[in-house]
Amino acid sequence: MDIFQVFNEDTLRDNLLFYYSGYMSHNVIGAMGDTLRYRLETQGTKGATTRKVFSTFIEMAQNILNYGGDEERNEDNRQYSRGAVAIGQQGGHFYIICGNHIDRAHLARVREKLEAIRAMSPEEIKQAYKQQLRTESSADEASKGAGLGFLTVARDASEPIEFCFIEYELPAENVGFYLKAVI
Amino acid sequence: MLGVFKMQNLKLEATSTSPEVDFQFSEHRLALRGESYPENAAAFFGPIVEALNGYLEQTQNQVIEVIIELTYFNSSSTKVLFNVFNMLNFAAASNTINLHWRYDEDDDTILEFGDDLHEDFPDINYIPESFAS
Repeated sequence: MDIFQVFNEDTLRDNLLFYYSGYMSHNVIGAMGDTLRYRLETQGTKGATTRKVFSTFIEMAQNILNYGGDEERNEDNRQYSRGAVAIGQQGGHFYIICGNHIDRAHLARVREKLEAIRAMSPEEIKQAYKQQLRTESSADEASKGAGLGFLTVARDASEPIEFCFIEYELPAENVGFYLKAVI
Repeated sequence: MLGVFKMQNLKLEATSTSPEVDFQFSEHRLALRGESYPENAAAFFGPIVEALNGYLEQTQNQVIEVIIELTYFNSSSTKVLFNVFNMLNFAAASNTINLHWRYDEDDDTILEFGDDLHEDFPDINYIPESFAS
């Protein structure tokens, strides 16, 4: 109870709209998305900002669902992946952070993609987005690399996206991945 | 001509994460409305793209009205949409394709996406139409 109280007070003080940690599923994402949008609309957030926050949330949450490390499927073959998402307000901006495990084998590729995006100007991000859309569409489902997803997040962000990798002791084949976007 | 036409019209109601699909092939009128972020975009759009492909293969010298009124689509839906416009652009060699790109007047991203489509697929008649949210 003490841990919960500290956490609960911290989240209120830090202007956190919400925080979720646990198994992601399509239904959880849908319900959180609805709540998020309702919350933004009732506090009078501009339509374009609401769409950007919502879009970033969906890309990150579906990224966890599709590429999260601890994926499980139940008997009806639905996906459940473990991960965490936080949405809050800081200095007049909304931010969205997600965290999940990824396979260590993908670390270098993800780092390379995100470093490249971080170095781009907004105009370069738009051009890279158009280029990636043409590439991924013609390659069909072959490039399951979330390239367009990261660029979609970067396109809606007002400053360069941030990311880091967290080392865990176990399991050795996984590494923690955090991604943050400020709208 | 009516008796010759065999394509079944395709109508799917919108859900919270998938758009309304209203493909009136017999009227040459194809509409997508709503939001698109289904659990699996490739699985959701697969049968729709297949039906569209079947229709386009047997359609010539027609004026096809395409109405797209999507207020949000995620990145995997975007890829599918891009492929759909590629198919329409190809079909525009033997048909007239009028693309009514309906966007919220406050949402530049949707308008810009439409403008980019126009650049990539010049054979489609691009008709941007704004609406108030």
